[in-house]
Amino acid sequence: METVAFYSYKGGVGRSLLLANAARFLATLGKGVVALDFDFEAPGLHYKLGGGQSYVDGRRSSNFPLPAGGAVPYLIATAEGADPPPPFDEHMMSVPVPTEAGGWLKLMPAGPAPHQSYWVALKDLSDRLRLTDPSGRGFMALLDLQARIADELRPDYLLIDARTGVTELGGLATTVLADTVVCLFVANQESLDGTLTVVEALKGAPRLANQKPIRVVPVLSRTTAKPPEDERFAAGVKRLLELGEGKRGRIRNDLALFGLPHDGQLGAWERLLGGRIAGPFSPLYQAYLELFQRVFHLGAGPA
Amino acid sequence: METDALNTLVSGAIWRAEQLETHGVRPASQAWAEVCSLEEELAKALPVAEAEGRIARRGAVRAALKAGDYARAHALADGYLAEEAPRSLKTALRKILEEDAQAMAGRFRFASKHHSWREAQDLARRFREAGAFGLAA
Repeated sequence: METVAFYSYKGGVGRSLLLANAARFLATLGKGVVALDFDFEAPGLHYKLGGGQSYVDGRRSSNFPLPAGGAVPYLIATAEGADPPPPFDEHMMSVPVPTEAGGWLKLMPAGPAPHQSYWVALKDLSDRLRLTDPSGRGFMALLDLQARIADELRPDYLLIDARTGVTELGGLATTVLADTVVCLFVANQESLDGTLTVVEALKGAPRLANQKPIRVVPVLSRTTAKPPEDERFAAGVKRLLELGEGKRGRIRNDLALFGLPHDGQLGAWERLLGGRIAGPFSPLYQAYLELFQRVFHLGAGPA
Repeated sequence: METDALNTLVSGAIWRAEQLETHGVRPASQAWAEVCSLEEELAKALPVAEAEGRIARRGAVRAALKAGDYARAHALADGYLAEEAPRSLKTALRKILEEDAQAMAGRFRFASKHHSWREAQDLARRFREAGAFGLAA
């Protein structure tokens, strides 16, 4: 199982949407995928992968139900020493994907957000489980969830929405749980500076003994024009490419950042997957394919 | 406060915490936190060379663990281990922490197959000191 965390220093860069579409894309290719929503303060993967259902209006279809639990209630149960461990069925949902290739996709949402019960549970979790508690208890709770997913579900990929900014959970999801971190940013100095700071930290972060160094893939998102060409911005991009992986540029051996063009009409990219709307000629579709092939070590995109 | 008075309070607090624990009442952790505070006061008042001082130090660490206050338990243990204490006390304190770690490893059975508890503790401490992403180091 390879764990890929999706991170952005600033919000609104299309991070969760990229994750949701990567998850569906991989499942369509026949891979087993678990998507985990660790964006506890603003969870939304269940909106993107949950067929438009929400916990607020109670529209829960019988063949595609949102789970009653999620990552927050699961971690609370784990912290309380639940034995046997909490059943995954109560905390995950199966997301329908085309089954011809034999892939599958499961989502563990953060919990029933934005229902009030979720915020109560989140407060409860923060009261009971400090992730960097020196006993290692909070830390082990996260590692335990990841290890259980690997052992029991045996997916090819675990995709984690590691939220924005500098938070304890975001830090652990990227520095400790992830093999690969996809870092999204937009073309302004504020976004680049923050991203660079975090990527530098990621590359120097301590890891567990059996873990390889973190692989970082920086992605310039929502591009509408050429990025700023001033010296400071260019130096930052160059440093990002030294620390992370880019794509081959126009000049041989020259590396360029992966870029995701802004597409106002086709923002809900999961609709692109089957080529029903945009087809393979959409620049965003092409950019996603190029990125996914690099991030997930794929030979070719879907037909 | 006199150590006699503290001893009386500790005995009462331990009895109360045990009763709450026996009956599965959730504020038991608060009661153990109170025990910990009293044991700490006793440990300050009694030198480590005295048997009662050593009992208080063990009691403070054990009560902090029962209260679920691992940060406090480890901070107290670190402080007591740094004292000029008899080897028996240091062994006892390490054993208390080790037993707790083993219980935790049993609780997180999936992670324990892949990662050592001690390593997780070390890394957790490093992130606690250095902040998220290690940016406050």
